[in-house]
Amino acid sequence: MVMFFVRRLLTSSLVVLVSTFVMYVLVSIAIDPLADLRTSTAQNKEQLIEQRRQLLQLDESVFHRYFDWLGGAAGCVVGQCDLGSNWQTNQQVSDLLSGAILTTLQLVSLATVLAILIGVFVGIVSALRQYSGFDYSITFVSFLLYSLPTFWVAVLLKQFLAIGFNDFLADPSIAWWFYVVCVLLAGVTLMAALGGTATNRLRNFAIAGGATLAVLLYVELTDFISNPTLGIVGVAVLSIGAALCVTILSTGLGDRRSLYAALTVAGLGIALYQPMRFFWYYAGASWPIVIGMGLLAVVVGGLVGFLWGGPDRSTVVRTAALTALPVAFLLFIDRLFSTWDVYVNHVRIGGRPISTSGRRTPNFDGNFWMQTLDLFGHLLLPTLTLTLISFAAYTRYARASTLEVLNQDYIRTARAKGLTERTVIMRHAFRNALIPLASIVPVDIITLIGGAVITERIFGWRGMGFLFVDSLGKNVIDPIMAYLLVVAILAVVANFVADLVYAVLDPRIRVNA
Amino acid sequence: MRLRGFTVAAIAVTMALTACSAPEDESEERAREDSDRAAAGEAPDAITIGWNQPYYSYNDDTSDGNATANSIINYMLRGNLFYYDENQALVRDESLGTFEKTSDDPLTVEYTVADDAAWSDGTPIDATDLLLQFVGTSGNLNTIDASDDVGNLGGEVYFNSSSPGLPLVTELPELSNDNKTLTLVYSEPFADWEVALDFGVPAHVTAMKALGIDDPQAAKDALVDAVQSNDKAALSSLAEFWNTGYDFTALPDDELLHLSSGAYELTDYVEGEYLTLTANPDYTGELPASINEVTVTYSDDPLAQVQQLQNGELDLFGPQATTDVLEALEAVDQAEVDTGVEGTYEHVDLVMDNGGPFDPATYGGDAETARQVRQAFLTAYPRQDIVDTLIKPINPDAEVRNSFLVTPGSPSYEAVSEASGMEEAYGDGDSEAAAQILAEAGVEGPIDVRFLIPADNQRRSDQFDIVQPKLADAGFNLIADRRGTWGEDLGSGTYDAVSFGWQSTSTAVTESQATFYTGGLNNLIGYSNPEVDDLFDELAVTTDEGEQEDIQGQIDAILTEDAIGSTVFQFPSVEAYNKNVIGNVTSAPLNPTIFYGYWNWTGPETE
Repeated sequence: MVMFFVRRLLTSSLVVLVSTFVMYVLVSIAIDPLADLRTSTAQNKEQLIEQRRQLLQLDESVFHRYFDWLGGAAGCVVGQCDLGSNWQTNQQVSDLLSGAILTTLQLVSLATVLAILIGVFVGIVSALRQYSGFDYSITFVSFLLYSLPTFWVAVLLKQFLAIGFNDFLADPSIAWWFYVVCVLLAGVTLMAALGGTATNRLRNFAIAGGATLAVLLYVELTDFISNPTLGIVGVAVLSIGAALCVTILSTGLGDRRSLYAALTVAGLGIALYQPMRFFWYYAGASWPIVIGMGLLAVVVGGLVGFLWGGPDRSTVVRTAALTALPVAFLLFIDRLFSTWDVYVNHVRIGGRPISTSGRRTPNFDGNFWMQTLDLFGHLLLPTLTLTLISFAAYTRYARASTLEVLNQDYIRTARAKGLTERTVIMRHAFRNALIPLASIVPVDIITLIGGAVITERIFGWRGMGFLFVDSLGKNVIDPIMAYLLVVAILAVVANFVADLVYAVLDPRIRVNA
Repeated sequence: MRLRGFTVAAIAVTMALTACSAPEDESEERAREDSDRAAAGEAPDAITIGWNQPYYSYNDDTSDGNATANSIINYMLRGNLFYYDENQALVRDESLGTFEKTSDDPLTVEYTVADDAAWSDGTPIDATDLLLQFVGTSGNLNTIDASDDVGNLGGEVYFNSSSPGLPLVTELPELSNDNKTLTLVYSEPFADWEVALDFGVPAHVTAMKALGIDDPQAAKDALVDAVQSNDKAALSSLAEFWNTGYDFTALPDDELLHLSSGAYELTDYVEGEYLTLTANPDYTGELPASINEVTVTYSDDPLAQVQQLQNGELDLFGPQATTDVLEALEAVDQAEVDTGVEGTYEHVDLVMDNGGPFDPATYGGDAETARQVRQAFLTAYPRQDIVDTLIKPINPDAEVRNSFLVTPGSPSYEAVSEASGMEEAYGDGDSEAAAQILAEAGVEGPIDVRFLIPADNQRRSDQFDIVQPKLADAGFNLIADRRGTWGEDLGSGTYDAVSFGWQSTSTAVTESQATFYTGGLNNLIGYSNPEVDDLFDELAVTTDEGEQEDIQGQIDAILTEDAIGSTVFQFPSVEAYNKNVIGNVTSAPLNPTIFYGYWNWTGPETE
């Protein structure tokens, strides 16, 4: 094990070192730091050029400059980083990096989580309905999304979801055809996903279509778009729905104790509807508090499950704890919704909540709820862009690995011994289908810090990708090198982590020197 | 059973609580009141301007800080002695002070600071501020020529800046007793004396920070002492702070680092996102803010900015002028689009010292033949076609530029272009006339010409496609030479002709000297004509505007006669704004472009 670590560390360092050298030389060839002065007619041009040559040591060889840079960068090992500076603005590269990494993380984290969750879910469902119309449709859609160019999707989303939606908000009325399309789409999707006999399909179509119609009518009748609110009734209905769903997936409705525990959690959430309003008013809100409350909810949910107990205590606790999350989330969303009206009509927002650019509305000042809505208004489009494009890949991975697992002998054995389909899928197939993903997800997550170059630029987020492209365009080498260094190190680390995770998850594989 | 009871109790409590709802949050209430007021028509006037590069230095007189990103903001923050208007004429702003030439021999200029001029921290503005600016930009007290770490000079003095005229003021400027007047005495005449010196960063802040003095007046006295006694240690500290102390990329805690003496104050700056300027309540000068709050947001994707404008996130921006952006803007109802010209101008260079077709050496040293070949080339060069095809779709008023030295639209353009004769000589690309000139010169075609094309620039490729067939008719065989490294290769003699843009940042008459003077830095074609050199020498010491114009016309005529190349067009510029939010926008070709004339802007309610 130790040998494995040492060997990986040595080879990894070598890879990073060589790649920085190659990149330094390539970037030096590619950029021309004197570009802006060459076509200048400034009277003191000669002096300016001389100053810059001196500043950037352009008269020295590129190797000299590389080792100069390496000397500073090597200081990072002993905690004395000198990654150089942006000579145009005199900013330290380390400052630039820390800001850029934070921006990038804010931009990509939500999109990554969503892409993984939705992608895996859709992929598994698609695998379960292999070679059905649903499967083919998903395959078609995922390849379509996969091949869409980011810049194009981004521009379309801005046009329709931001500009179009904001215009729509000024005079919100839903056209009749929108109802028809939504109802049909929801009905057909659910029908195809659940499959079954013709009667079943018809029933599912009716249920899904009817539910959608009900939601749309609710939206229309309660003026939900201008003044969205779930209300205690909405929270109640959705909480109970969440309790049922979680129970079905976790233990099946047959496990009465789990079902009751989940429903108790939902009831608790409904009971806390008003008290939570007072809580937010008096305690104030901030991200630590919100996340803390979420965790507390999970703990309380677990406790409820523990009290319901029974012979299978751990599954009951799990079900109840898992139910607590969506219930708490509903309460959070409902509180957020109640600020929507104030936010949209805020002087700085002027009735246009969905933004096409930037991280926040300039000079916007408000409480936590308004700031959060502002953040979501700015995150919506980039998140959607990134999710649409990367979820397709996860769908394909999840589908392939689920199909492989479903064809294994132990699945047939499980079915043969009479286990319910739910148990076979959720307990035997699902977990094992995730193993191959374990080697992809860490690499994806860590390399995301490298930034989403195009998305960041189009949406005006100055993250890592932006830093890289911008510095390249402005002929500044130090930030480019810092970017490449970070990305190179992360790539190496990501692969290492993936290997370790795989070894931990799959006992057939051993980490061996 | 126990739990069931608990559930019932919980539901009962809920029912009880539903009756009374939680009070509304204070800041939500405030926001609601604000928006009610706005709905009643009492909206505070505020606009948002889009720009590509974020601000990074309050001192835009250093070589590092000298960027448009900084000067546009500093233009709003600090009062100046003069500015260029939309016609590139120099206009004096006497809010903070005045200056006048008091003698021609030696050239003496006296700067007088207004009595009530003050920085936004209350410290009076006086001649010390001008003295620091002089010391900083002239470099006369520098002890070293260059430094690779301008914020850490190791005891040497190095103000990281340069100025074409101020080094000619070899004596230290004199300060009057009341410290309101500063007098510059030039050791030789200097044509652009009017634009040589202006206000810069505050002297008291520089001295307070660099020398560790708390009292503003004491700090200024120390600065004057250090300059007058040439105190190397103190000057070194001052230089270090002057070079880098004013650099910031987010709003600094210390207000002294961004004092205002102009119409606006810097009130917020979030790194890489936006910067907010608010009208300076203490400003009493000639150019007051007309819009109370100006926010600059940063994005460098022009098409994204178009959508921002459409979505109400942006009210004014000046994107790089391309037909894509214009088309996108046309689709936006509320967008008003103005087109105009930029400071940069496209021209064609013919190299005459590389043994190529334009070099007399090729014809056995026969300068006249080489001149005729160049003349033929330029006669066939379809300048009007280029403008019509590539520039007019962006700027319908675009014209061919007919002067080497003077920009169209500037006050002296008409006279100088007239004298130049470029219009008659190479009007609109006449291949037949060109072929005739070649025949007269006795040169057999086709003549191979290596034409350097920047590989990264579509417009220059398009230009080549227009030019090539026309010149082929005249007897020139243009060979396209596309290079990514074209900038580095300029002046290398590895090409015979090139078309690219010269950027001009001021209307200083001496600006083009380096392009046409024998051995000048921008003289990339090996041109040498003693007559032109003499005229430039004369121009540099001529301070009368009428005479300047006359000399410029003479130079222009000789350059045309010598057929060294020709000018083609002024780069087009575009400014777009939301006409429902802002009106009366007139941008200037030179810095500060769209920010020019902020005092004329009108808000929505005054329309």
